[in-house]
This record gives sequence, structure tokens and C-alpha cells, in this order.
Amino acid sequence: MAHAFTKAGPEGWSCGKCGKKLAPVSVNVEYMGSSFFVELPGCPDCGKTLIDQELAGGKMLEVEKLLEDK
Amino acid sequence: MELKILEQFESLCTREAPPACQSWCPVQVEAGAVASLVAAGKTDEARKTLERHMPLASLCARLCEGPCRAKCLRSGYDAGVNLPLLELHAVLRGRQTKPYPMPPTPHSAALLGSGLSALVAAYNLALKGHKAVVFSPAPIGGRLLAAAGGRITEEILAEALDTLAKLRVEFVGTPSEKPVPGPLADWLKDYKAVFLSLDDPAYDFSVLGFDLTGLVPDPVTREPVPGGADGPGDAGGSDDAGGPEGAGLGGLFLGPRSPDPPGFVWAMSAGKKAAASMDRLFQGVSPKSARDREASGPTRLAVDLKDAAPVPEVVPADPESPTPEEAAREAKRCLGCSCVSCLPNCPLLRSRKGYPKKYAREFYNNIITAFGIRHSNRHINSCAECGLCGQLCPNGADMGKFVALARRDMVSGNHMPVSAHEFALEDQVFSNSEEAAFIRPAPGRDWGHGDGGGGRGHVLFPGCQLAGSSPETVLALHAHLNACLPGGAGLWAGCCGAPGRWSGRPRLTSLTAGEIRSVWLECGSPRVILACPSCVLFFQAELPEIDIIGLWPVLDGLPTPGGHMAAGVPLVLHDPCSARLDASGQDAVRSVLGKIGQKFVEPLMTRRLTLCCGRGGLVGEANPAMADEYARERTKDSAGPIVAWCSVCRDRFRSLGHEALHPLDLLFPRARPEELMKSPPPGISASREGRRYFKRLALEKTYGERAEKEDGVGLKIDIPGSVLRDMEGRRILMTDVAAVLENAAKNGPAFVNQETGRRIANLRPRQVTFWVEYEERTDGSLLVCRAWCHRMDVPGTPGEGEESPASSEGFARGGGRV
Repeated sequence: MAHAFTKAGPEGWSCGKCGKKLAPVSVNVEYMGSSFFVELPGCPDCGKTLIDQELAGGKMLEVEKLLEDK
Repeated sequence: MELKILEQFESLCTREAPPACQSWCPVQVEAGAVASLVAAGKTDEARKTLERHMPLASLCARLCEGPCRAKCLRSGYDAGVNLPLLELHAVLRGRQTKPYPMPPTPHSAALLGSGLSALVAAYNLALKGHKAVVFSPAPIGGRLLAAAGGRITEEILAEALDTLAKLRVEFVGTPSEKPVPGPLADWLKDYKAVFLSLDDPAYDFSVLGFDLTGLVPDPVTREPVPGGADGPGDAGGSDDAGGPEGAGLGGLFLGPRSPDPPGFVWAMSAGKKAAASMDRLFQGVSPKSARDREASGPTRLAVDLKDAAPVPEVVPADPESPTPEEAAREAKRCLGCSCVSCLPNCPLLRSRKGYPKKYAREFYNNIITAFGIRHSNRHINSCAECGLCGQLCPNGADMGKFVALARRDMVSGNHMPVSAHEFALEDQVFSNSEEAAFIRPAPGRDWGHGDGGGGRGHVLFPGCQLAGSSPETVLALHAHLNACLPGGAGLWAGCCGAPGRWSGRPRLTSLTAGEIRSVWLECGSPRVILACPSCVLFFQAELPEIDIIGLWPVLDGLPTPGGHMAAGVPLVLHDPCSARLDASGQDAVRSVLGKIGQKFVEPLMTRRLTLCCGRGGLVGEANPAMADEYARERTKDSAGPIVAWCSVCRDRFRSLGHEALHPLDLLFPRARPEELMKSPPPGISASREGRRYFKRLALEKTYGERAEKEDGVGLKIDIPGSVLRDMEGRRILMTDVAAVLENAAKNGPAFVNQETGRRIANLRPRQVTFWVEYEERTDGSLLVCRAWCHRMDVPGTPGEGEESPASSEGFARGGGRV
């Protein structure tokens, strides 16, 4: 399950608060009592992560449904 | 869910019951399957299927009298399917299956006489690995040839005996043509089981020194029991009182004997059943338990033959050797009896090629799954609970009622997918919030006047969806009722709580009902006029003490409103599924349409058998594609525009591009019917806005109250139509997008793109994170480029931490009604 969402960060985006360009950061995501570490594009300083539309409606949706049926 | 609930439901569905030909067959041949395979030219498989139930098929198929023919449902049209012909074809042209006996056991049985029953018993005993010894005057089986009257030849008999010999069946002949002497008691000492082949006329059973008078075979076990027992064909066998053990006859089994009907097929049956009993005796298993299926008799299978047509029986040129073509033609006369009453009009029941009994078992297993994936969650949440299957089933098996229990168990066990119904529950909460809900007495009056319900007045409860999609029409309706009903009519906006009930949340349902009850009592218990058929069902089930009446009988009893219009074309009348049992409502709608001169046609599935639009059971929330399949069941056969007396049905049909109206659109028209029927349905955002608008409109126009000023930071947000469509698909409201952008306006966007100037903001107000990509225009307005959402929790997302209604079964927000 780890790194299931790993993908290159979308081009041109930077953190709205820190101004840093996004880079892969490791975060612990959680749903329905399951949690796991994934790499997502995020701010190297404050750690804020970006879930883009493709990920949210694709792989992440699949995993959500899987966890809901568990 | 208790197992007995599953078993009760399973007992209603007869789909797995055998067809009449099989249930009446003394040896339980799967006649329908044989016919189907012969019709398809699969002769080897047909023979294999035959051999599963008919031992020594090459011999027995030629001797079978085919009692199934008289029971074949085709005999009601022309003549029962000639199964013996198909059996003959199968053994003539199909490849014989090689018998594979089980490893030898130490048990042996003596079979006295060599009638057909003894040969069949010997075959089945040998297959079980037991030693079978046939004692018979020579020639073995010789009397069969004469009795068969030319239906078998010496070669066929020899082939059968050769098969038995290869299975280690031992034949002890007596050259003197006399039976082996010896008293029965000695036989029973030497052999654990003894079978008397009473169908062998050459065997003189008097040498046993035992009088069989007064004993008959138990119809299932073939043990000797006192005469007068149940005749053949009755299930179960007799009790042990006076049974073989008590009479010192334990281990004795009888071949065909009165009350068995004469005939070779009954001899086969006796041999088969006796062999099974002997095997049970050797294994130490009760000879009686769980043998219902071996009894021949009527079937529970319900068959609808409305499409059957007479087809003449095929008479082969050579009855002893039908051609494959002749056999196939005769096989195709088989009606393929099966119970499919509930399947044709339900996309859910059709979806996995199953039937209610099979699905109920799957759903039950889904509920009791302790670990692993619950594969039926989506399927359970795809049932519209519309009740059609229960109406079509001869035994009233209603999948929806079973599904309702399954959903309750899923919720109480915390296994209901959160996403399945969350939006609908939030929508219910919204409808009962201060933003949309209110109740007022008849304009210019107080509660407690009027003639409804014994002087307590009337109040119109239009239902949340109708008020949201047709606010002006509902106001016109209310004005009409207020003007025509003595004492006027109050107005009550809110949601009855049907979504909570559909979603399997009894606590939420009870809380919502309790809230409705309190409001109703506070307002002097007026008679409630319900415009939505789903509200009627909810009130009947959860609030039986409330005096309710459907809108249509009320309207039918009042003068027709002025200004009504009729469409120029006949409309297809659609009864909502929640009103399938509301005959008075159905009659009233038809009467009102007649009064305004609206021509309409009745579809095939109407009134009690009407179809669901896909909203029932919240199918559209868990499985939108399935919801559309439900709606298409209606639209595909509707040649013209539909008139549906439920606003959700109307809007669902419109969402598929089918023109549709509500009768209220004709009674209180805001435009010509031909224009109205083409209107697009409101989306989820527009529906909520419609409910807000309805409250504002009603309070201002009808009650002269000033609306409260709306909150908000005054952002100007522009959402293009294509983005809005995407949002609707993911259940993202315009208010959700506004909340994200308002948060970003206060706290700054989460991400910025220096190259394009676009921004991304996000917010997690509950168990969903919303994302919006947008541009800030020079005039300060915000152009939404994309919006998306996910449920997974990622740290660092700004949120309000509000609890979701779906995550807590009993959560209910309301208030603001009075």
C-alpha cells in the first residue's frame, strides 16, 4: 500500500504560504481506520500536500472504495 | 441478521425448485437439462446428465415409461415433451460416461432375484464400493427381456450385465432355476443388507419361509413397514413405530411392490432408493434424514406460461432410432420451466444473472463476513426497495424488505460504506435546517381552526424534492388549497426522513419522525396533506398517529383550478413506485387528469406493477449507473412524454433526456406543457437553492414576512456549465465551492501557479476534502476552473471538523420549523 499514490508533482505549482516549489513529501494518509505512508507533491517547508484531480478521482477513489468494503 | 430470516426469505423464492417433469420423475432425471442439451446438439452432455440420475442408462432409458409426460406443463397446450424419445436419442448417440467406483469397502449386500430393481441397486452399491451379490435363477435378468416386450434386446441386457461385472458385482446363478434356499433370518445373519427384487417373477420368495403379507415398502427408504403406509411419491417415510428393527427385519429392503405403481421406472426408483438406504446402513447414517428430494411429487416452482404456444409433437420415422434432427425438434418443445417472474423488469436482479434466493444468500454472507472484502456492499445499496419483485413473485418474496434489513445490519455493524448515502443524509439535514424548513398555519389564521381532522385544520407538506424543484408551482398549489378548503391550509416545508430510512439508520429515522411528531403536536395536530408518495409511505410506517391524506384525493374533491392546461399529445402515465399500493391516489390522479382534458395512456407496467425511477432506496447515491437503468425501464417503452405524479420521477426521466411533466405542472402551469416537459431537471445545487428559494418566496409572498439577510463574504464566483456538470457527478455543491473560496479569501490559497496565475484552495468541512482550482479576474471575481474532492484524510488540510451524519447513525439536525 505504501507509495501507492506516488507521482511526479504537477508543474509550476508552489506553496501559497511559503512560496516553495512543490517536491515529493512523505505523508501519513488515513481512511476508515487504515493509515499508510505515501509520497505526494507538497511544500518542502510546511509539508502542505496537493492531491490533484486525477489522483483524487482515480487511484485514491479506488482505494477509498476498497477500504469502505473491508 | 439471524439465519432464520434468511431461511424464511429463501423459502419464498422457488427459483431453485425443480420443474414438474423432474419433481415427478421417480428417479429425479433432470429432464429440462437433458432436453436443453439435446436441443443444442450436445448429445454427450445430455447422456452424462441422464446418467447422473438414471443408472445403467443404456438399459433403463429404453425401459422408462416417461411418467413426466403427463406432468409436463406443455401437456396443457398439446402433448408433454416426449422425454423417453430424448433419453433414447442420448443413449443411442451420446458417449457413455465411464463409471468410477469408490474404493472397495468391507460391506456387502445380498440381492435376491434379478429384476430391474436388483440390477439398478447392484450398480449403485458397486459405485459406492460395496460388494453386491445377486442371487438369481439363471438366466440373470432373463425375465426382463420378455417383460420389456421388445424394447430391449439381448445385446442391450448383456451390455448392462457386462457393466455390472466390471464393477465387481457378483452373480450367483442357480442352474436348477430354483432360488437359493434358506430362511430370511439366515440371509440377514450372513449379510448386513438384503434386498428382495420383488419384480423378478422367477424368484419364489416363499423359500425364505417368511410371510410378506401386510408389509409394504417405505416409499423412500424401501424398508418393510406395516401395510397402509403412505403410497409412493410421498416424502419422508414412516416413523419407526412397528418399523423393521422392531420386527427383527433390520437390514431388509423391498423392491417394487404395491402400492408402487407398475412400471419399469418405479422398479428403477425402488432399486436406487434401496441402494441409498443400504449405503446409509453401512455408513451408520440415518436412513431417513434429508431424503426429501428423492420423493416424487408436486413442485413448488412457479412458472408463468403466458408466452407459450402450441407446437405439435415430433413423431420420428423410426421410433427405435430417432434422427438427431427429430430429437432436437422434440427437445425444443420443452418450455424450459423456470421461475423468472421478478427478473424481466428489475435491472438489479438481472445484473448478476441471479435471482432473489441467490442474492439473499450473498447478502447474508456479506453481512456475516468477519474479515476480508464485503463484495456485495454495492449490490445491496443498488436495490431501489421499490417492491416490484414482491408484487410479481407468486409467494411475495420482496428483495427490498430483505435489503432493508441487510442495510440496517451493515450500519449497526459499522460496515456501511460512508460514501454510499452521506450526501442524501446531508440533504435531509439541510431540508430540515433553518435554511429550508418552516411551518405556518393557514395565512391569516392560527392553528386549531378549520375542518380537517375534526376541526384541527389542514397543512400541506409538499416534500423536500417537490418544493426544491417546483417552488412556484407548490406555492400556487398551496394557494388553491388554502382558498378551497374550509379553514384554509397551512404550509410545512421539510423532509419526512425517507433518506434516513432507506439508508438503514433506524435511530436517525426515529429521531426525524420524533421531530416531525413534536412539530405536528405543537401546531394542534392538523390533518397533513402529503404531496409526495414517499412521504406517505414514511408517515404510514413511522408516524401512524398523524392524520394524513394524499394530495390527489384532496384535489379530486375540490374544484379544478382555473388556468389549467393540457398537453396536446397523450402522456404516458407513470405511477410512482411508492404509490403502487395506493389505489385511491392512482384513481384520483386519473380522475383529475380526465377533468382537465389531459389524454393519457397506461403503460404495460402500471399501478400495482409500476416501475421505479431509480431514486428509491437511494440507488442513485451508491450506484448512479444502476439508477439510470431503473429509469430506462420506464423510458424505453414510453412512446410519448411521461406524466409522473412524483417530482423525483419526473426529474429522473428528464435527466435521461425524456420529456416529462408532473400533473401539478398542468394544474398550475408556469408555461406551456410542451415547453415545461423539456425543462432540464435541477441539479443538486439548484435543488438546494430551490428549497431555500421556496422558503423565502413562501414567507415573503404568502405570509408577508421579511426574509433574513444572507450571510457571506460577498465573493463573486463564476462556475462554467462544464465544471458544474463535473461537480454534480461528484456530489460537489456550489456552496461547497463557495466555502473553499471563502476560506481561501481569509487565509490565502494553498497553492499558486506563477506561470498561469491560477490558484488552488482546499477545505475539509466534514469527511470530504474539497479542492478548487480558480483564477482571480481583474474585476475581483473568481472563475472556477476545476473542482474535485476525496474522502481520504491527508494531514494539513484546513477543516471545520464537523461530524458527518453518515458517520453517526443518530445524528440529526433540524430546528427552525416553527
